[in-house]
Amino acid sequence: MTLDRRQILAAGLTLGAMSLFPGMSWAQARKLVFATFTGSWEEAHRDVIVPHFRKATGNADIALDPMLSVDMIAKVSAAKANPPIDVMLMDPGPRLSVIGQDLAAPFPVADSKNYQDLLPVAQLPEGPGIFFQAVGITYNPEKVKTPPTSWDDLWKPEYKGRVGITNMNSTLGTAFMVELAKTRGGGENDIEPAFAALKELQPNLGAVAPNPGALATLFQQGQIDISPGNFNAIQILRARGVPVEFAKPKTGTIAFLTTAHITKNSPNAKLAAALIESAMAPEVQTKLMQAPFYVIPTNAKVQMDGDIARMIAKDQEELKASFVFHDWSVINQNRAGWIERFNKEIKV
Amino acid sequence: MTSITAPDLTGPATAARPRIGREWTLALPLAAFFAVFFVTPLLLLVAVSLYADAEMTRFGLDQYIRFFGDTFNLAVLGSTLLLGVKVTALTLLFGYPLAWLYTRSGPRMQSALILVIILPLLTSVVVRTFAWIVILGRDGIVNNLLLSLGLAEAPLRLLYTEGGLVAALVQVQMPLMVLPLITTLSRLDPNLLDASAALGAGPWRGFLKVTLPLSLPGIVAGCLLTYAAAVTAFITQSLVGGGQMLFMPQYIYQQTITLHNWPFAAAISIVFMVSVLGVVMLFNLLGRASKGYVHA
Repeated sequence: MTLDRRQILAAGLTLGAMSLFPGMSWAQARKLVFATFTGSWEEAHRDVIVPHFRKATGNADIALDPMLSVDMIAKVSAAKANPPIDVMLMDPGPRLSVIGQDLAAPFPVADSKNYQDLLPVAQLPEGPGIFFQAVGITYNPEKVKTPPTSWDDLWKPEYKGRVGITNMNSTLGTAFMVELAKTRGGGENDIEPAFAALKELQPNLGAVAPNPGALATLFQQGQIDISPGNFNAIQILRARGVPVEFAKPKTGTIAFLTTAHITKNSPNAKLAAALIESAMAPEVQTKLMQAPFYVIPTNAKVQMDGDIARMIAKDQEELKASFVFHDWSVINQNRAGWIERFNKEIKV
Repeated sequence: MTSITAPDLTGPATAARPRIGREWTLALPLAAFFAVFFVTPLLLLVAVSLYADAEMTRFGLDQYIRFFGDTFNLAVLGSTLLLGVKVTALTLLFGYPLAWLYTRSGPRMQSALILVIILPLLTSVVVRTFAWIVILGRDGIVNNLLLSLGLAEAPLRLLYTEGGLVAALVQVQMPLMVLPLITTLSRLDPNLLDASAALGAGPWRGFLKVTLPLSLPGIVAGCLLTYAAAVTAFITQSLVGGGQMLFMPQYIYQQTITLHNWPFAAAISIVFMVSVLGVVMLFNLLGRASKGYVHA
C-alpha cells in the first residue's frame, strides 16, 4: 500500500479531531442523533438536556435533528438495519406505530436511576414519558372578560364568529373532538356526539385553522378570541406579548404523554439510554419547567412552581386529578373515517 | 404564403440546418438527472397508486375506483381546477394593463416598474402569504378601513374564505403572468398600431384587432404558468384558505402524512396531475389556434 498526500492529510485530520473532541474516544461509531421536535422544543432540549447529558457521559458527541414524530418513523422504517436516528420522541398516536412496527428497543429499566421516580402513567418500558403536553381553552383576556371554565363556553352566543378550531389532521384537533364526544356521552368509540356538537358550534366558528401553529397566530391577528389550544404554544405567544391566557376546563385538561425511545439497532444504544436518563432527571425537568420553557414534568420529584403551578397543576396530585388521557389505540383505528367525515361535513 | 413553392421552402431550409454532431451529449447529464430524480419517482408513484389496500399487500385499481366513486372527491378536484381558472383570469385582467404600461413607459419608469414586479419573487411565498393573513384578518387593514369609512358595521370574514384566497393567489402569482406578457408586448412593432390608426381604427379597435391577437402567445404562456402554480400552491391554499377548505394539494398531504394511506394519496396525485396536464394541453391548443388566427 502506498500512502499519498490525501490519505496522510485525512489521517492527520482524524488524529487532530480525536484530540480536539475527546468524546470520540468513547468508541462512538458516530454522533448520537437525538430527533427532537421543532421550534421551542428544540431550543429547550438543546439548552437543558444536552448539557446535562454531555456532563454525564464525558462530553459524548450529540446532534439534534428536529422533526415531527411521523417523519422520524418514516426515516427509521426506511433504514431499519442502520437507523439514522438514535433517540426518537413520540406523541401518543405515533408511539403506537413505533411499537407496532417494532422500531424501538426497550428502555433498560433495571439500570435506570430516575425511571421509578416518574409518575406511574409515564413509566412505560417501551420508552418512558419525558414530558406532558396539555390542551385546554385558550382565550384573549382583553375580549373574553370572564375566564372560561368549561368546553361548553365555546357555544355561548356572545362568541359568535370568534371561536377557532383546527381540523382533525392534528393531534390537537382530534383530541378536541374525542374530548367533546366524551363530555357529551360518547368517546373514542363513539364520535357522533362531537360531530353533532360541532354542527351547533358553526355560527360561532370564526376559523378552522389548517394546523395548531396557524391557530395560535390567529389570536395575534385578532381573528379569533377563544379556542382549544396547546399550553406550550400559548406560552410562546405570551412571551411575545400577545394577550392570551390558558384555562383548565372543569372536565379536565386533555393531556398527551411524550415518550422517548431508543431506536432499534442503534449503534449508540448505551448513549441513547443515557440521554433518556438525563431527560428524566429531576434537576433537568425542574429547569425545563421554569421560564422560558414551561415543559410539564413527568418526574414526581419535581416541585411545581410559576406558570405551570398556576395554570396546570400546583402539585403531582392535582396533575393526576385534572389530566384526561385518551385511548389512542382506539383513536388510531377510527381516525381515517373521522377525518373523511370532517372533510365532508364541516364547512364554515 | 401559398405562393411559395415547395422546393423553395425545403431547399434553403435543409442547407441552413446545422449539422448534428455530438453536441447532444451535452444534454446527457441533465437527462440522467431527470431520469433518476424525476422519472423514477414518478413511476414509483404510479406503482404505489396501483396497490389495492393501504397496507400495500395486493395490487388492484381499487384506489382509482374509490376516488371516482365518491362525488366528494370529484368536487374537491373540480373546485381545485376552478380555483386555478379564477386566479388565472383575474391575474390576466390585472396583469395585462401592468405589462402594457411597462412597454409604454420611459426607461426610468420601466426600471421602477420591473422592480415592483420582480420584488415579490425575491421574498419567500410563506412571507408573502403571511402578509395576506395580516391584511385579511378581523383586525386587518381591509376590515379597519371598511369600519372607519362606515362601509361595514362589523368586521367581515375575509380570511379563510375563497374570495380571500383568490385575492392572495392573484398577488402571489402575478409575476408569472406579467413577465411573459412584457416579453411579448415589447417585441410588438409599434408601427402596426400607428398603421391601424392611420387606417381609421379607434384605440379600442386597434387593441382588439392588433395588440391583443399579437400578444396571444404571451397570454398563453402567462396563463399556463399562473394556472399550474395556483392549483398546486399548497402553502397559500392552506394558510389563507384555512383548514376546512379542501383542495387537492392538502388532500394529498392529509392522506400521506396524517393517515399514512400512501396508495390513495398516490392515486389522487396521479389523477390531479393528469387533470392539470389536460387543462395545460387545452391552453396549448388555444395558443396554437391563436397562431393560425394571427397569420390568417
